[in-house]
Amino acid sequence: MSAAPLAPARPAVTSGTTPAGPRRPRVRAGRVAGNVVAVVVALCWVFPVYWMINSSFTPDARLGARTPSFFPTHGTTANYRDAVDGSGFWSALQMSLAITLVTVVAVLAFAFLAALAISRFRFRGRRSFVVAVLFIQMLPAEGLFIAQYKMLSAADLLNSVVGVSVLYTAAIVPFTVWMLRGFVAGIPAELEEAAMVDGLSRTGAFLRITFPLLAPGLVASGVYAFLQAWNEFTVALVALPAEGSQTLPLWLRGFLNASVNEGVNWAQVMAASTLIALPVMIFFLLVQNRMTGGLVSGAVKG
Amino acid sequence: MTTTATGGPGAAPVEAAGAPPPPVRRRRRPRTPYLLLVPAVAVLLLGLGYPVYWQVVTSMQEFGLAQQFGTAPPEFVGLANYVEIFTSDVVWVVVARSVAFCLVNAFLAVGIGTLLALLMKGVGTAPRLALQVALLLAWAMPMVAAVTVWKWLFDWRQGVVNWLLVQIGLGSFENHNWLAQPLSFFFVATVIVTWMSVPFVALSVYAALTQVSDEVLEAAALDGASGAKRFFYIILPIVRPVVSIVLLLQIIWDLRVFAQIRLLQDAGAPVSETNLLGNFIYELGIGRQDFAGAAAVSLFVLALTIVLSWPYVRTLLKEDES
Amino acid sequence: MKRNRLVVTSVASTITLTMALAACSSSDSDDTADGSASSGASSTPEAADITLWLAGGDTPDELRDYLKTEFAKENPGSTLTIEQQEWPDLVTSLTTALPDANNTPDVVEVGNTQSPTFTTVGAFRDLTPLYDELGGDKLLQSFVDVGKVGDKNYALPYYFGSRYMFYRADIWKKAGLTAPKTLAEFGDDVKKLKTDKQSGFAIGGQDWRNGISWIFANGGDLAKQDGDQWVSTLSDPKSVKGLEQWQDVYEGASNAPATGKDLAYWDFLNDGVDGEAPEAATIMAPGWARWSIGDMTKGDDGKEVRDGMADDSKFDIFGLPGVDGGLAPVFAGGSNIAVSAKSQHPELAENLLKIVFSPEYQQMLGKNGLGPANTDYVSSLGDDKFAKTTIDTAKVSKLTPAAPGWASVEGANVLEELFQKIAEGGDVTQLAKTYDAKITPMLNGK
Repeated sequence: MSAAPLAPARPAVTSGTTPAGPRRPRVRAGRVAGNVVAVVVALCWVFPVYWMINSSFTPDARLGARTPSFFPTHGTTANYRDAVDGSGFWSALQMSLAITLVTVVAVLAFAFLAALAISRFRFRGRRSFVVAVLFIQMLPAEGLFIAQYKMLSAADLLNSVVGVSVLYTAAIVPFTVWMLRGFVAGIPAELEEAAMVDGLSRTGAFLRITFPLLAPGLVASGVYAFLQAWNEFTVALVALPAEGSQTLPLWLRGFLNASVNEGVNWAQVMAASTLIALPVMIFFLLVQNRMTGGLVSGAVKG
Repeated sequence: MTTTATGGPGAAPVEAAGAPPPPVRRRRRPRTPYLLLVPAVAVLLLGLGYPVYWQVVTSMQEFGLAQQFGTAPPEFVGLANYVEIFTSDVVWVVVARSVAFCLVNAFLAVGIGTLLALLMKGVGTAPRLALQVALLLAWAMPMVAAVTVWKWLFDWRQGVVNWLLVQIGLGSFENHNWLAQPLSFFFVATVIVTWMSVPFVALSVYAALTQVSDEVLEAAALDGASGAKRFFYIILPIVRPVVSIVLLLQIIWDLRVFAQIRLLQDAGAPVSETNLLGNFIYELGIGRQDFAGAAAVSLFVLALTIVLSWPYVRTLLKEDES
Repeated sequence: MKRNRLVVTSVASTITLTMALAACSSSDSDDTADGSASSGASSTPEAADITLWLAGGDTPDELRDYLKTEFAKENPGSTLTIEQQEWPDLVTSLTTALPDANNTPDVVEVGNTQSPTFTTVGAFRDLTPLYDELGGDKLLQSFVDVGKVGDKNYALPYYFGSRYMFYRADIWKKAGLTAPKTLAEFGDDVKKLKTDKQSGFAIGGQDWRNGISWIFANGGDLAKQDGDQWVSTLSDPKSVKGLEQWQDVYEGASNAPATGKDLAYWDFLNDGVDGEAPEAATIMAPGWARWSIGDMTKGDDGKEVRDGMADDSKFDIFGLPGVDGGLAPVFAGGSNIAVSAKSQHPELAENLLKIVFSPEYQQMLGKNGLGPANTDYVSSLGDDKFAKTTIDTAKVSKLTPAAPGWASVEGANVLEELFQKIAEGGDVTQLAKTYDAKITPMLNGK
């Protein structure tokens, strides 16, 4: 993959998978057993996901059955129809996409610059910054909502994409800085310098040499940020009180309402959940290869 | 950007005495790193500055719903809220429970994750892909949905788990209520939290493993190194940095576990015996509108996490400096 | 609808417009209420856009549309925006938004037992001057009481639901039993119906909202006001008697776990989807549970649903009987409605209340299965047995105490814990004492 030229010098930056070595009979038996175990574990892990999808195609009236039905034999798509028709799915989808997009871009940009600073420079305050960024993550979020609301209200940013995105970015940047730090450190500055000697401008050298090498790291951090922003609930609840500006998790919450006139329709909840998970799953599967590469080198600091 | 730094206010010389060994690259001037940090620091101040300030101030006040609505002025009470925490035996029980839960879950997730990563490394492409996809799907599932599904699986009446146990002849599990006793409640919670955190660990460690060169391993095997030896002398040193950072993150995150417990409690559980710190803060703040108490406990949890993780963080930092 | 500058400017321009046309006034305002916000000499409030927060999806679209059109018609130039909040997080949203004069909703729906949380800290506008005009003593009194502080009304009833007993008529009949007349008889009957596989009466231990009916029926209460202090009264002999009676019923008739809470009881009453026997002969549930009970059938859109208890030889209902016959007071679900104290348009907000409490709207509530706040219009619920039982049980319904700290008690799950311990066979007198000591300080806000 892209990092191949670096591999000999710095194995830590390699991304992608290494082809398996030649097989030897000695390991074959072990390998078969391993394959079986892997498949079994995979099935166990995916089972709850399957159960969500299975339930989402089951009529609500059947979910209370004593004996679990493992296949949607009475399958119906009505749950999806009702969930989407119900209220606000499309506007929530838009809102979620907008917030997630802004957050991911901001997180990546800010964290990347900060990572550049702490991995390429020694300066006073560097250590404090690294430690502070780590400790910020340790503050429980459950007690912050009143202050967050007051702040957004004072800035007239309630119900806006910007307001929530600022809060999300602040919450996600710390981890991403840590993650990207390793990547940047993993790319020798000499490489960039060599390119500049060859006549590229600094920006050019950065764009042509450094940036591609960082791609897996940015993808990995991006996925993390995506997941956080996509699924966040409490901040969204406080910062987006207006009905039309709800995000998908708030929209999902609407299905969990038992009240005077109706009970919770769990089949619909599962259909709604599947709809929320779907974009993430597709996105994950698409970036899967790059991400595994990315996660590695991020954590293994160069 | 590369012009000579004139040393703006406060921008002291970089290579102060006692600072880590001078950097290799000197061509950039000290102002650059500060400029690079500006956006991140700005967004942190913007997003967290006021809330954290508010939290600190409120933790030293009497601040409930009446103060929130302005019908009574917030009264400065100094450290009274903290004194209350330290003298309350409820808090310490919750702290002990949370720390235990956090450590068990963090080590389980990292342990299982690492094992799965090793497994992925050792198996053929198809099973590996199956495992990878399964983990990714689990990771992508929204939390509310995940907990709800798990709640169903462990439901006393119609849960698949009880059904399976009865099918294999353990009749006593008919209508067994997993959430009734704190211990089995936390067993279920641990299953859920571990299930949700393993994908991140496994995929990170696996990615690190892909960097272990097969040639080296084979050479070692030919030289007669046992499996254990190869693991400890070749594999471990390479994946160790990943594992330690992942472990630290799991500890931080697991100490803040909240929503999973809350959603499980909604199904009927002995609440006060199953609260973790996050739930305790939520109950104080949102449940009982004692915002000052919630703020004080939050800051206390922050301090506690820092103290607990400090030795570990120091080691990480040392490695970082080297 | 995002609240953005565009709205603000358009509102501003409509204001100037209506100021210019201020001649024609739709004067139905005999309230000079607090006088705090009455601007200038004109009694017609400035035109504006006001916001109503509804909780959950209970209020059907038809009713929302009616409110909007009617409000715009009666308040020329003004508009009504309705936003839906969700029940589980309503308190959080209200806590942050109500004190914020710039963003507060003007009128809010709030859960009946959540009312004291906000009324006692001055979150709502005093509606006492309007009380009689909006229905006065005709309003459902248990809901009025919960919205009162002292003798002032801050939150008024919006709609109510009720809970009653759903039972398997076929099973009861086979055992030679008929609907019971007294609470003791009920206990005996459901105990007879219990087998290993079937609860005579399925109730989870933590389900105190059902369980407190036994306290109320025996003349006990959760708390009482003593001067300006609230005192938990669980260890009052009457309360203890009720709790013991409930413990006896739980132990003798229910297979549901002691930690069970808000279970899907209706599933217990139905035949299984593959024809298995039901798991309970009797349950206690809110009125809407009906639509989850019955035989499996295909709905209009081909979806499989329960038939809503069509077969009344198989499914039937009764109100929980009282100690000496009649009906036992049950805990009623439902909500209150109030005006935010920080509302910038209190007159308009009050005008909206007048529409809500108008005969037309009250009857619309009833026709949609929501118990109308004004008891004069309960007949609009219909006259089948479901409507009748709803009305009868609601009339004797009771609510949780209007104490400032009641939300704390609920927020800390104190009653869940107490009822669980009772269900586990604990000593009621002892437990009641312990929990009185725990609850009393919480009730008074500390």
